[in-house]
Amino acid sequence: MLEILRNLTRRKLRTALTVLGITIGVLALTTMGSLAEKSNSLIDGGVHYFRDHVSVAAASNGGFGGILTIDKAKDVLKVDGVQAACADTGSNVKTDLDLSFNFGPGDQVIAEQPGCQQYSTFKFSYAGGHAIDDYGSGQLVLGSDIAREYKKKVGDSMELPQPPKKFNPDFVGHQFTIVGILEKTLTAPDSFAIVSFKDGQMLFGDSLPSALKGHVDATQLATGINVYGKPGVDLDTLANRINDQVAGVRAIPPSTLVKAFETASVVLTGITTGSALLALVIGGLSVINTMLMAVTERVREIGLKKAVGARTRHILVEFITEATIIGAIGGAIGLLVGWALTTVVNAGLTSNNQAELFLLTLRLVGLAVAFAVGLGALAGVIPALRAARLDPVTALRHQ
Amino acid sequence: MARIELVDLTKHYKQGRNLVRALDGVSLTIERGEFVSVVGRSGSGKTTLLDLLGLLLKPTSGRVIIDGVDTADLGDGDRAIMRGERIGFIFQEFNLLPTLNALENVMLPLRYRRHRDPEGKARALELLGAVDLLDRMDHKPSELSGGQAQRVAIARSMVNNPALVLGDEPTGEVDSETSMQLIDLMRKMNRERGVTFVVVTHDMEIAGRTDRMIRLRDGRVASDEPLGAQTAAV
Repeated sequence: MLEILRNLTRRKLRTALTVLGITIGVLALTTMGSLAEKSNSLIDGGVHYFRDHVSVAAASNGGFGGILTIDKAKDVLKVDGVQAACADTGSNVKTDLDLSFNFGPGDQVIAEQPGCQQYSTFKFSYAGGHAIDDYGSGQLVLGSDIAREYKKKVGDSMELPQPPKKFNPDFVGHQFTIVGILEKTLTAPDSFAIVSFKDGQMLFGDSLPSALKGHVDATQLATGINVYGKPGVDLDTLANRINDQVAGVRAIPPSTLVKAFETASVVLTGITTGSALLALVIGGLSVINTMLMAVTERVREIGLKKAVGARTRHILVEFITEATIIGAIGGAIGLLVGWALTTVVNAGLTSNNQAELFLLTLRLVGLAVAFAVGLGALAGVIPALRAARLDPVTALRHQ
Repeated sequence: MARIELVDLTKHYKQGRNLVRALDGVSLTIERGEFVSVVGRSGSGKTTLLDLLGLLLKPTSGRVIIDGVDTADLGDGDRAIMRGERIGFIFQEFNLLPTLNALENVMLPLRYRRHRDPEGKARALELLGAVDLLDRMDHKPSELSGGQAQRVAIARSMVNNPALVLGDEPTGEVDSETSMQLIDLMRKMNRERGVTFVVVTHDMEIAGRTDRMIRLRDGRVASDEPLGAQTAAV
């Protein structure tokens, strides 16, 4: 083993460059992979979040963000197979245009009609505090990311929406007391600010253009309806039935949303695999090249080892071990740099009130380590075979 | 100690369209504990004979029998095991591994044994003492003179308690005074440890210090004579 380590230091620059090749590959895998892990976790959460209900929005808008009235929820409830139809509201936490990069819609104030949480299979658990009083006012539960962004803890107060940086005479803010902070879910609720439905309607009403504000009754407003089916009811069929029977709304079959999320997941996994392949090509070729050069340089030594009793497997093991160590060192450095980079970028984003971009998971760390070590070993095979197959007589007299 | 029988040994190579008869029907017996030199002109078949004796080459025909074991029947793996455990090698250009120090170089053959040898290191140290290099055991080959490097190689050839040591021009890279010291050292190992030595050389003074001189010409044995009297005279 000592000899193998010393062999690595015989050509320091060459070894360093080869290690760098693997380092770059693993760094690419770590950063791209953790980017994909972050978004995949959001996607997984999205799939989970959307699978258990039908999302209903205003038809005129063609998607989310339109305005509904809560009466529509009553209409939807009458459709056969509907167990619960819960109106909800969503509005932005930030008043200013959010230019930061987010995988999701960014920080959102979310509210749902009282008593609806029981129908969802997506259950919140609390890192601190407790749920809001569904019928109360002025209470707030924060997702873990948003709590960290604003450095808030249970008992603190927070203004919603956040005041604009430039003075705006039309701005209306409300103080809320934080009664709970959610456990990290690695998906959308991490950037949720949850308030009671009454407060949600008020905030949504405030966010409307001033031309519209005077003409609507905020207590009748909703941005969407979450429809829960009775046991055994197919939600896609239910969505179609709602579209047929309730005017002015558009129900989106959950499978459409889930499929969209899963397509996104496949694309992101493709990016991970792509970066892994890139690493394979760059790192693997440089290791093969280095080890082939090492074999050429050490032909006489290989001949000597064979003369004094080394068998094919001894030579194979020595060269593959050397290549594996190159892979392991490159992998360790790549992983370390990747970890430092993702941590620094995440910290930078968080301190700037933006969501984290990377998620370096244990399985990604395991994959990167296994990849680097396995790649090194694999790249060592061809040179090692060449070394092991050398004829001892020819090798011993090689000039 | 090894008794070696060579029976009608031939080794032919193809060089382009020509057939080179490097060794052409050599039959010899080398007794246990003998110190034999093989001499001859360049191309006479000396090195081929040594490679066949060391099981580094397979003969075209004929047999190499070491202590009753017909090596023609052995596969590559068994030949490697036999080399490692029964045969020592000393080369003209020392062939020490540059990354290992003197002691580690002596111990190299121990690495490839089938069973760990618990006394291997002690024997390596003892051999380094016998070649008078204990104080240089931590030195790398680049820090040793030619004579010292070849003494390390001699110690390495003995570390597995071989029955046979083969020397391929072992004094070819050192001055004549050092040559004599080296051959005397090999002679001492041969006498004290009873190991059979076969040394290829073109130096007649070296050959003159052995028990028996085999002269090859065109791949055949041209002469085979005992040198007991001459050795005594040296």
